[in-house]
Amino acid sequence: MGFTVIVPPPTSKRTLSLGVQNAPEFACLPLKINLGNFMEARELGADTIIMAGGVGPCRFGLYAQLEKEILEDLGCHYEILVLEPPERGIIDFFKKIRKLTEKVSWWRIIQGVRLGYKKACFVDKLEILVQEIRPRENELGTADKIFAHSLKTIDKANNLDELAEAYGLAKEKLLHIPRNEEKEVLKIGLVGEIYTLLEPFASQDIEKRLGYLGAQVTRSLYLSEWINEHLFGGLLSGAVRQGFSKHAGPFLNHFVGGHARESIGAGVLLAGEGFDGIVQVAPLTCMPEIVAHSIFPSVSDTLDIPVLTIYVDELSGQEGIHTRLEAFIDLLWGKRFSLDHEKTIC
Amino acid sequence: MNIRIGIPRALLYYNYVTLWKTFFTLLGAEVLISGYTNKLTLDLGRDMVVDEACLPVKIFFGHTAQLLEQKPDFLFVPRMVSVEKSAYICPKIIGLPDILEAGKKEMPALIKPTMNMVSTGNIDSFLREAGSCLTTDRRKISRAWKIARQEQNAEDRQALDKSRSTEIGAARTGSKLPMLLLGHRYNLYDDFLNLNIRKRLWQMGCDLWTPEQFSEESKEDTIKTLPKAIFWTFGKDILGTVRCFSRLPGPKGVVIISSFGCGIDSFIGNMAMRYLHKAGIPYLNITLDEHSGEAGLETRLEAFLDMIRWRRPFNEDHISSYGTPLGDPEGYAGIHGVYGYSATSYQ
Ligand code: SF4
Ligand code: SF4
Repeated sequence: MGFTVIVPPPTSKRTLSLGVQNAPEFACLPLKINLGNFMEARELGADTIIMAGGVGPCRFGLYAQLEKEILEDLGCHYEILVLEPPERGIIDFFKKIRKLTEKVSWWRIIQGVRLGYKKACFVDKLEILVQEIRPRENELGTADKIFAHSLKTIDKANNLDELAEAYGLAKEKLLHIPRNEEKEVLKIGLVGEIYTLLEPFASQDIEKRLGYLGAQVTRSLYLSEWINEHLFGGLLSGAVRQGFSKHAGPFLNHFVGGHARESIGAGVLLAGEGFDGIVQVAPLTCMPEIVAHSIFPSVSDTLDIPVLTIYVDELSGQEGIHTRLEAFIDLLWGKRFSLDHEKTIC
Repeated sequence: MNIRIGIPRALLYYNYVTLWKTFFTLLGAEVLISGYTNKLTLDLGRDMVVDEACLPVKIFFGHTAQLLEQKPDFLFVPRMVSVEKSAYICPKIIGLPDILEAGKKEMPALIKPTMNMVSTGNIDSFLREAGSCLTTDRRKISRAWKIARQEQNAEDRQALDKSRSTEIGAARTGSKLPMLLLGHRYNLYDDFLNLNIRKRLWQMGCDLWTPEQFSEESKEDTIKTLPKAIFWTFGKDILGTVRCFSRLPGPKGVVIISSFGCGIDSFIGNMAMRYLHKAGIPYLNITLDEHSGEAGLETRLEAFLDMIRWRRPFNEDHISSYGTPLGDPEGYAGIHGVYGYSATSYQ
């Protein structure tokens, strides 16, 4: 669209430590990583940030403000454009982009946004496929390799045709992965705070780990869904839509910010669909997820579904998380066998 | 016999006790309030909510458990989403009734009306539900509410006036060092939770200031310069207070009290510190958790006060002796600092 987009280098240990050094100690993990990303992008010459905003009640809506102050204090002068959610709406969003790209026509802006959004939708669809394949593939990691590669080709696509082609190819390749269709797998719902759900670095690859341990994972949130709801007020089609939040009652009867209602709702719905267990993942000190976490025991009791909650922060180690996941998987198998057993007896 | 309604002495109790108590009493209920926080409160509360919750929330649950001994017919646990337009309270406080109901403990029936003024500012349904166990007469309810509001306002005003009255004003020109105690009400006024910090500061010769000694309007005014409006009522209060306080003449200091694991404090506290640094006012940040010890607090307060007194003579012109503030502090909450005395936790 007439300006260079600088993609911050993939989140790494360095990103995290930059963020941790400069963010408030008790800020949530996404802020720290986010800040680190911006600092690294700065090193590559970025001078403007576009990011999403919000109006509470959770911290996300103030990220931009706090980050700007921190960056300013560090001597990084950034222009920050905040895209507020649809209260002021989609028009405002386009206006802001226009401001950045003055000479570009509206048409091209809309095209650009649409392409970006479509990309997210396709990536999500592929991801759902990968989640299905992971526990069943003959050679662990094949699907992830193909997926990583197709992310690149999708990213490179310049128009809808190229995108469709990249998507088709990737899907084809994934479907051809040799795997054992008969294999019995566990079904696990992965719920929690969006950033830790979507960014494998932040969650220490929980999703992949579960897959390799023999579980088919379904997430409560996908990127396209979030973009659609957060920025476009649900106007666009094509998103992977699940609308879990409306199932949160009677356990959680009010919006508490973040995605707590989606977490609880997904837990409730998936329990009803015969899922074996729920894993909740959230950054340490995440306010909405702490509420969800406090409520999960009663969901778990009422609907008889085990729930494991994992908090991540800059100190959490892979080992610990892996062990906990393994133990949880064992528990779920145990539960399934004992259920089967009961069935055969009566 | 009167209907007995229990109110836990925790969280928003400290902001609204008069309001709630008057309201229910006028409608003919007997209001029971839990005792002061003690060790047992904390222990009980800790068992009722996940470890990751913040200290004030744990204490809140402890109070609900302790209230049970008084055998109330109802517990008043309103869902306080928002008390003004475009600002929320806190996700955890919004979720309180749900968390309480998800718990294993047998609880009396909850009165849990939702107060949500974020878009409309309308509280009719809140009132109807709050009064529903006592009466269905809407006129009676709104009359009770009106009187209760007046009483609460009168009390708030008293706090304001106190800070302006000549008597205290005289004391204020004296030798005592103005010290702002900054934080959520329930952190400032629960003496168990904050390890008696008010008394300590007072004994160390400080003239204590608290957020309610600045009027809502002036607080609102001072934060209008922020590029993005703060959407937490607590946050606005804290940032507004800091700004008002920093305009008082003469040397002074700020003690910020935050709770471990508090999402709001982690952001707002940081902004406040950045502001204070820019404005050249020394501050001490204290993060409270259940392991906080008294000795550690005492030492830190003393060190902090020594630091201020020591640099006091330099500060007579109200400009930081460490250089002029960097840039215009109004647009930002502040600038990262060299001499802010900050540590996150003390043993
Ligand atoms: S949802 Fe949780 S992690 Fe995300 S911004 Fe809010 S508090 Fe932070
Ligand atoms: S505002 Fe902070 S201390 Fe108060 S309940 Fe919320 S998270 Fe806890």
